[in-house]
Amino acid sequence: MNRKITIDPVTRVEGHGRVTIHLDEYGQVKDSFFHIVEFRGFERFIQGHPYWEAPVLVQRLCGICPVSHHLAAAKAVDQLEGVDPKDLSPTATRLRRLMHFGQIFQSHALHFFYLASPDLLFGMDAPVEKRNVIAVAVENRELAIKGITMRKFGQEIIKAVAGKKIHGILAVPGGVHKTLTEEERDYFLNGKSIENIDTMIEWSQAIVNFMKDYHEKNRKFLDEFAAFPSGHLGMVNDEGGLDLYDGKLRAIDSEGNITLDDIATDLYQEYFSEAVAQWSYMKFPYLKKVGRENGWNRVGPLARMNMCDFIPTPLAEKERQDFIAFTGKKVNNSTMYSHWARLIEILHCAEVIKELLHDPELMGNDLIRKGTPRLKGIGIIEAPRGTLTHHYEVDEKGMITRCNLIVSTTHNNDAMNTAVRWVANNVISRSGNITDGMLNQVEVAIRAYDPCLSCATQAMGKMPLHAELYNHLGKLIDEKYSN
Amino acid sequence: MKNTATEKAKVLLIGIGNSGRSDDGLGWMFAELASRFPQIDVETRYQLQIEDAELVHKYDTVFFADASHTALPNGFQMHRIKAARHFFYSSHLQSPETILYLAKELYVKSPDAYSIAIEGLHWELGTIVSDEANIHLQSAFSYFEKKITRIFQIKYSTQPGT
Repeated sequence: MNRKITIDPVTRVEGHGRVTIHLDEYGQVKDSFFHIVEFRGFERFIQGHPYWEAPVLVQRLCGICPVSHHLAAAKAVDQLEGVDPKDLSPTATRLRRLMHFGQIFQSHALHFFYLASPDLLFGMDAPVEKRNVIAVAVENRELAIKGITMRKFGQEIIKAVAGKKIHGILAVPGGVHKTLTEEERDYFLNGKSIENIDTMIEWSQAIVNFMKDYHEKNRKFLDEFAAFPSGHLGMVNDEGGLDLYDGKLRAIDSEGNITLDDIATDLYQEYFSEAVAQWSYMKFPYLKKVGRENGWNRVGPLARMNMCDFIPTPLAEKERQDFIAFTGKKVNNSTMYSHWARLIEILHCAEVIKELLHDPELMGNDLIRKGTPRLKGIGIIEAPRGTLTHHYEVDEKGMITRCNLIVSTTHNNDAMNTAVRWVANNVISRSGNITDGMLNQVEVAIRAYDPCLSCATQAMGKMPLHAELYNHLGKLIDEKYSN
Repeated sequence: MKNTATEKAKVLLIGIGNSGRSDDGLGWMFAELASRFPQIDVETRYQLQIEDAELVHKYDTVFFADASHTALPNGFQMHRIKAARHFFYSSHLQSPETILYLAKELYVKSPDAYSIAIEGLHWELGTIVSDEANIHLQSAFSYFEKKITRIFQIKYSTQPGT
């Protein structure tokens, strides 16, 4: 009997995806797909607009990571203005970095505390009503308050530099439009109104330790669940250290061999191509020289831990070394270690934020630089979910004629499909029946990548929550609503 | 619009919506009107999020103003709401009742809370609310003015300078 299992939409991810798993007459998995069914439109939508509008317009791609789109677009628009990253004023660079690290700090906190922690705390077979952050809040009050406070801290950083927590504006072509006052800076240092940055570092360290304890107790699960070989892509600085704001692109294969050797970001088109599939609106980027089949890369925290030589802040670097020592492998290809890597990045962000807050250049008044205008601008940044590319071309009047966006979730498209296939083959195949716990494992595998499907497809609108089960005749035999 | 940087006031109004979606901007417009009251702190949201529990727990009274797809008598409805454990699948779309529930569970605080639903009719892309929705907005705000005046008379009448 052929059966098709549909999970629609996948929950606790940002946006609307759908999973179909096709079984053959013996109950084995015949095929599986992670469909992205939302409409894609922003690349066309912004054509015809003046280039300086791009950093504002593209923020509307997402309510979770508008800052990443704002800054990636800004880096591209800087080039249209004739200004390279190294030519930006020190104050503009520091303010943008502060905003960016605040964004990653809050986004990672959101993912771990709100989205992923129910999976880790309650397990795969927990009842549906328990697999959410409300249950975490009720049963782990201290953890929940820390999570909320950490997310708030990151959002307050964004608000301080951009005026608003969501869809604020900091960057303008060639720099930033405002600086930070001492009073605004001290808000994050003195601990009078909110917990200060030292507390954020302390709590970040504590949550990494929480994950290490979890690892000791659940190592087999973390090692094996949805583990598969793949390439890993990210950005590094000139010394090979992790750099989330600016640097060169580096990729390695599943064994750690270099497949992309620290290339300048504006050369990305020479090295990457994007495939399409009939069953998804989301594209499939891959390294041309490796080929479509094996040239795709994971991006995001796990990839960044794997491909960088070091993290340039002391506490996070110590944790990275522990991470590598624990796993004992040159490259970690286990999906679930993404959570641990994400927490190390939270700690790194907190350390960088502290450095920036103590840097006097942060409050300077040299804000905007000018150059000789160009017709092409490419901005690449390490967003919370991974490498994010914004590419714009303009005409002589400065109107956008072409736009290409490769968002992090798009890079992870193949990885998420492979993770779904792993669960299908190892959990659902030959099981005889389908349980909520099994379906949840499909979601857990996807969720580890923290996908933002709204970003990946530039969608707008509401997302229903509906699971359907069809028999081999295509007849609906079961359906579930998660809420 | 006044923000909540000082958080001195005991009354909070949160306008929920999206000013780029025609009548979905009603919640934000209501918040703009409410900012005339110096005693009220005002915030706007696209959607309520879990961390809003941390905000609302600091207040005695909280209003949630949002556009409604449902036809309402006189174009609006205002009613008292209580903490309840709802959960929507997204991390960033929670009900006012859930926010109150989290405030109670995490911060041991249960403010008086009211929902203000304002009937909208058009939801397509656009920054202007429909004429009909604007009438509903004015009706809702007139009712709210009376309500808030009564609240301040009751809660602050004995305090110096009020």
